[in-house]
Amino acid sequence: MAESALALPVRRTWWSRLWRNRVASTGGLFIIAAIAISLVGPALYAGLLAPEQRQLRDGIYQDYNAINDGPSALHWFGADYLGRDVFTRLLTAIRVSLTVALVVETINIGLGGGLGIIAGYFGGAADMLISRLADMLFAFPGLLLAILVSAVFGETARNLYGGVGRLLLVSSALSLVSWPLMARFMRGQALALKSRDFVVASQSLGASNLWIIVRHVLPNVAWLIIVAATLDVASVIVNEATLSLLGLGIEEPGASLGLMIFKAASRLERYPLQLFFPAATITLLVLAFSFLGDGLRDVLEGGSGR
Amino acid sequence: MVRLIYQRAFSLVFVLFSITFLTFLVSYLAPGDPILNMMGGRQDPVRYQFLRHVYGLDLPWYQQYFTYVGNLLRGNLGYSFKYPERPVWELIAGGVPVSLQIGLAALILSVVVGVPVGVFAALQQNNWRDTAIMALMLALYSLPSFVLIPLLWVGDLALYHAKLPSLPVAGWGRPENLVLPVAVLAAANVGYIARLMRGSVLEMLRQDFVRTARAKGVPERWVIFRHVLSNALLPLLTVLGPATAFLVTGAFVVENLFAIPGVGFLAVQAVGQRDYPVIQATTILLALAVVTMNLLTDLAYIVVDPRLRTD
Repeated sequence: MAESALALPVRRTWWSRLWRNRVASTGGLFIIAAIAISLVGPALYAGLLAPEQRQLRDGIYQDYNAINDGPSALHWFGADYLGRDVFTRLLTAIRVSLTVALVVETINIGLGGGLGIIAGYFGGAADMLISRLADMLFAFPGLLLAILVSAVFGETARNLYGGVGRLLLVSSALSLVSWPLMARFMRGQALALKSRDFVVASQSLGASNLWIIVRHVLPNVAWLIIVAATLDVASVIVNEATLSLLGLGIEEPGASLGLMIFKAASRLERYPLQLFFPAATITLLVLAFSFLGDGLRDVLEGGSGR
Repeated sequence: MVRLIYQRAFSLVFVLFSITFLTFLVSYLAPGDPILNMMGGRQDPVRYQFLRHVYGLDLPWYQQYFTYVGNLLRGNLGYSFKYPERPVWELIAGGVPVSLQIGLAALILSVVVGVPVGVFAALQQNNWRDTAIMALMLALYSLPSFVLIPLLWVGDLALYHAKLPSLPVAGWGRPENLVLPVAVLAAANVGYIARLMRGSVLEMLRQDFVRTARAKGVPERWVIFRHVLSNALLPLLTVLGPATAFLVTGAFVVENLFAIPGVGFLAVQAVGQRDYPVIQATTILLALAVVTMNLLTDLAYIVVDPRLRTD
């Protein structure tokens, strides 16, 4: 994912150093496995059955014979209160979590990183404007702004674009909360780079600002952006689940870890497994991203990736 | 010191402006026509214009914003869309003391538990107790509340089935209803404060004045309490603001899963009813709680830390 942004000679070094960090590489492998399983898993899992039975495992079909059933040969992780296959829904929910995280971090890197670099590099009015805007968004504690935005626009998003609309709304609401932090961080980095000798030298040779940003600033902050984004993913996953749990995010019949936890919470006493699976999944996902992020940061700080 | 207070006052005004402006903006851009919704499909242009005027929706946006802020300053949070003619304040007033109660209890609990745990871990630095405690604190800090709550429920149900004393899993009104929600709300902050205190105590232990105190034969207990702790507690003030922010987001989940009629619960209910003024009001109220807490800790810092008084 990050290789292209890095200078070639150091590539093997950081890679092997990350690999040797056992906690981080376990986290990384878990994430790769989760991505792979959530993408191809549902099709494979349904494909094990005869074609006419496949819809039993599509995660939406209600198998009335299996309502609230525990794990069985047909439904590996059991079926929920509507007779839907829990394993398929879990995989779908992982895909939703990771998609939201991907969209949020893309916006985060593009908008937050971009504006931060502009603010730090150019300073002056641009800096003033961007920093004030970020400060405005900072005024809201925690998830409050995301809750407000998804509460007000949720209905419209669903009416216009259905489930995908809700997913995009949740993502944009969450990026609203996280990009200012990224912008502030990148602003500091760009500000520090601006006075470094190689940038000043480039300027004195008449290089354009665009050239300096692309050739000198970006390569130096690419690593930092990726580490910051990876560390942020853990909280994005929790936040998406929180919004969905409150009924502000992904809705039925869509699947989200938060939604599954919420639905299973009232049936905890009789069907604890229905709650165990999504709760364990989100815990593992969050831990994996935190470990990977921490590992990347250690690699970066210990002897610098560049 | 005076300049510092001026700075705080200025940033407070900016923060208040941001909160009210963005909250206003979101519902100004909100899709749908609330008046049409309120009239429920009745065709009555005269009544429609009248209601638009009553709610001030026929004014340009900046005037609407000024009216909005003006009303806020007078303590008028507007009127509910869902129950016309009922002020928003009346709808959420009942939730404020409830949220305040569990929020304050959680804040106190997290300090009362987090500080000693952090100090203990620091004094045991790097032995197995320290490692175990810090791992537990990291788990408390990073486990989402909706994972922690079922864990507590399972334990509580096990107690109940074993005919041992157990706690109610949800509800409100009796003192024992407070225990589980407050514990969950406090959990993340306990983890955070304990880790912060450990770091802060370790830093103080390395200071020259601690070595001096020890060298001149001050009893160890006295060194810890008088020299280390009194200084190590200072950073605690800075986390009270973020801790409150944590509580506010946590309150949404906790109040909804435990069926506690606080502000977070009412807000989510209002979402279901698309009652924007109520959502707006709860947002502003909760943001204000955090802003107030931040201001108080800033002021307390100026009082406590003499270095800030001389500039």
